Amino acid sequence: MGDYSELYQAILEGNAKKAKEITEAALAAGADPSELLSRYMIPAMDEVGKRFECQEYFVPELLIAGRAMKTALELLTPRLAASGAKAAGKVIIGTVKGDLHDIGKNLVASMLEGGGFQVTDLGVDVPAEKFVEAVGDQEGIIVAMSALLTTTMVYMREVIKALENAGIRNRVKVMVGGAPITQQFADQIGADGYSDNASGAVTLARRLVGLATAA
Amino acid sequence: MAANRLMIIGESINDSVPRTHEMLERGDLDSIVALAQQQDRQGADYIDVNIGPRPPELMAELVRRIQQLSQKPLSIDSPDPRIAEAGLRAYDPERAGGQKPLLNSVSPLRTEMFRLWSIQPFRVILLASEKWEGDRCRPCRTAEETYQAARHLVEEARSTGFALSNDDFIIDPGLVPLATDNEGHLGRVLEAIDRIHNDADLTGVHLVVGLSNLTVMLPSKRADGSPVKGPLQDAFLTKAVPSGLDMAVAAAGKKYRPLPADHPAMTCLEDCLRQPGFDAIRRIRQFYAGR
Repeated sequence: MGDYSELYQAILEGNAKKAKEITEAALAAGADPSELLSRYMIPAMDEVGKRFECQEYFVPELLIAGRAMKTALELLTPRLAASGAKAAGKVIIGTVKGDLHDIGKNLVASMLEGGGFQVTDLGVDVPAEKFVEAVGDQEGIIVAMSALLTTTMVYMREVIKALENAGIRNRVKVMVGGAPITQQFADQIGADGYSDNASGAVTLARRLVGLATAA
Repeated sequence: MAANRLMIIGESINDSVPRTHEMLERGDLDSIVALAQQQDRQGADYIDVNIGPRPPELMAELVRRIQQLSQKPLSIDSPDPRIAEAGLRAYDPERAGGQKPLLNSVSPLRTEMFRLWSIQPFRVILLASEKWEGDRCRPCRTAEETYQAARHLVEEARSTGFALSNDDFIIDPGLVPLATDNEGHLGRVLEAIDRIHNDADLTGVHLVVGLSNLTVMLPSKRADGSPVKGPLQDAFLTKAVPSGLDMAVAAAGKKYRPLPADHPAMTCLEDCLRQPGFDAIRRIRQFYAGR
């Protein structure tokens, strides 16, 4: 396969137009979609995450890079599905019942997609039974919950209980986040992980599904 | 022309402020009371009190202790009716020269909190960034929806039969961080302020924003070392105050100083309004990163 470092650069710089053009050209030239993903696109988003953590990048850069990633990924998805390529993991994400805040949740969803996860976004104000229903009979997936209010964060415990009552708690990993959430709270409600930012959420999700974190 | 007056609700006593969170964790009420006194000296019109998810008795105790040392009216800030109730019950209007406390805030999902008026008459921040649609509540996407949400909340407050007048209603259209605003919320908020301010039935209602929210998640300095947040907040106020914004939850020392139209922060905000979406995100990035 040819060298598509320009795709890496376009995503890193958040240039969606360029990312789309390069991906289209690469596919037309017969490039392997899963290699484009693993060699250029996911590493670009990992670099975005690193720059964010050392405060070289800020949330606007995460958003525009995430959009460039998504634009390129949409071109690959049908081909990846056809070739039977597997995602890094599956994530079901939502803001819990009674809470309509979606900024942080959307950002985490975008970064997880950028990290190679297949993300199902249930939206905001999501009741426990919706999370349970979305898990269905799937195994080894992640349930990610967000809450921005002190009055709604307690509902995360209800969701975990509902997963237990449905007998599927041991089939999923639960991660939580949002302004009032702390590691201590995550531990109290029996979540498997907590992150206070969108980039850390990707590292956490990889750890939860047993993937080594990219160095 | 004298600048319109902007009332400030001092924001420092909030569980989401890391320094204050530490004080609350340590149970160091003396330091929190000192924060209230500091904001009083800096000229805050109200002092906000937000204790996060902690026992209602703590809210009551803080309200009593702050009122022993400051005559400023307080803004009782909690989405939890039990914490809000404890704060309102402990509040003594006499200590604030007869001024009512502020209840921060009632949203369409929490209108049962109006009943707390019978415990202690208050002025109230009405959160107009959410509205009912059938049996679901969802975020407002347009100025019209925000305006309708404000109207519904005012009507619901009036229907309680409590003696709430327009002067007691403080409408918050829900300012969204510029760092994540790829859906034109900046324009929504400015238009909604204008519409609400020009509705004859709402004459005398007040308009508030959480000003710091505008600039969260942005770096503190531009590439040339000049500040990012203050100028963007000033640019917003320059647009919003003439349209009717008259209150802000903000740093106590914050003053409203209109910026000239050619100030870089003003041209940045104007560009964001002209080109909402990801172009606006890119424009904000250009403002601080210089590329």
